[in-house]
Amino acid sequence: MSSKAVLLKEDGNRHFHSGDYVSAEALYSKAIIADPTNPSLYTNRAMARLKMNLWESAIADCNECLKLSPDNMKAHYYLAQAHLELHDYYDAVEYALRAYDLCVKTADKSLSAATALVLRCKKERWEHQDKQRRRETRDLEDEVLAMMERERDAALRGEEEEDVNALGDAGGARTEIEQEWERKMERMRTVFDKARAAEEKRRKVPDWAIDDISFGFMHDPVITKTGKSYERSSIMEHLRRSNTDPLTREPLYISELRPNLDLKQACDEFLQENGWAVDW
Amino acid sequence: MPPAAGFATKRLGKELQKIHNSLPPGIDLVSAENFEEWFLDIRVLDSNPLYKDQTYRLKFKFSSSYPIEPPEVVFVKLPDRPIPIHPHIYSNGIICLDLLGQQGWSPVQNVESVCMSLQSMLTGNTKDERPPGDEDFVRANRLRPKDIDFFYHDNNV
Repeated sequence: MSSKAVLLKEDGNRHFHSGDYVSAEALYSKAIIADPTNPSLYTNRAMARLKMNLWESAIADCNECLKLSPDNMKAHYYLAQAHLELHDYYDAVEYALRAYDLCVKTADKSLSAATALVLRCKKERWEHQDKQRRRETRDLEDEVLAMMERERDAALRGEEEEDVNALGDAGGARTEIEQEWERKMERMRTVFDKARAAEEKRRKVPDWAIDDISFGFMHDPVITKTGKSYERSSIMEHLRRSNTDPLTREPLYISELRPNLDLKQACDEFLQENGWAVDW
Repeated sequence: MPPAAGFATKRLGKELQKIHNSLPPGIDLVSAENFEEWFLDIRVLDSNPLYKDQTYRLKFKFSSSYPIEPPEVVFVKLPDRPIPIHPHIYSNGIICLDLLGQQGWSPVQNVESVCMSLQSMLTGNTKDERPPGDEDFVRANRLRPKDIDFFYHDNNV
């Protein structure tokens, strides 16, 4: 990197850390002009732009960075954040997962942060889907009720026509039809209400999905020799401090951890249907 | 490198949620106004004459590295909350329990499990005495409990 770009970047970092994101962004821009080939200048500017809520231009910076350095963890991380803000939930999840995988591969210290980001993206994606589902259900309910009202009105009109032709207890028949349809529509509403209530009631997180160290919902469980699984970022934090199995205190090393693929799948599937579980 | 910011806060938030739902008999939450310091009361459930009809107040202090690092747990003395007599509990409330030390701690332990361990540590005790050198220790000690290098000579007590 040119020495001029280095100095501008360092100056930018100083401003960033003091909370002056506008100046930091301007300094990173100057640094990029001085050296347009350094990937970290783009991710630094993306970081400043995220702070300034400039989501689109943060995305542009990340994409520039990825052209220079396709496996850049930070670029994927910031892309996930920006897409989340823009409500592009599906892209956000994809980029967060990529950032997470890169953290694992390179033993990056941001593993805990990446884990939290993946879960947050998945939760927000689920909330979005859930809102959509609720809206669709309500629309369906309205539609069905409107259809029933039309049916009732048609039945009432048919009764009126019969009244003209035949004398009899016309008023009684009308009331009977009205009451019958009122009952049907009431039952219909009850069925919809019950379905909604049942969904709320199911909200309990199974213990097998909870990491005993962070108490968080697991995204990437790994298993130890004793057969107990933990969230990868949590057990890594512990093993960095002490090479012991948390349950038995026997020696345990990072190299001995294995992914628990079946549990991971079970957690993924549970989260697909129950995004709220991230914040149980 | 400390764990990601909010690690301790998140975990303590969830512990608190569980604690509000239910706690084992003889353990009560007194106050948890932040994620740095909590107070709990414990009682011994059997009729051990050393602790009968007494309630003891525990103070938990959490660092931002909790639960990777152990919490600091001491008994506190109040007019109606004495320091329980025990060969591993100094009269200033400092507890000598390997579970709470740097070596014995495990991040799968939690506030509830620590309280239960202390309950059973009292339940199982028959000795009406303080640790050897209690007076000197209480007078001279300026270290934080977690920095004291206790010698866990007897893990059965």
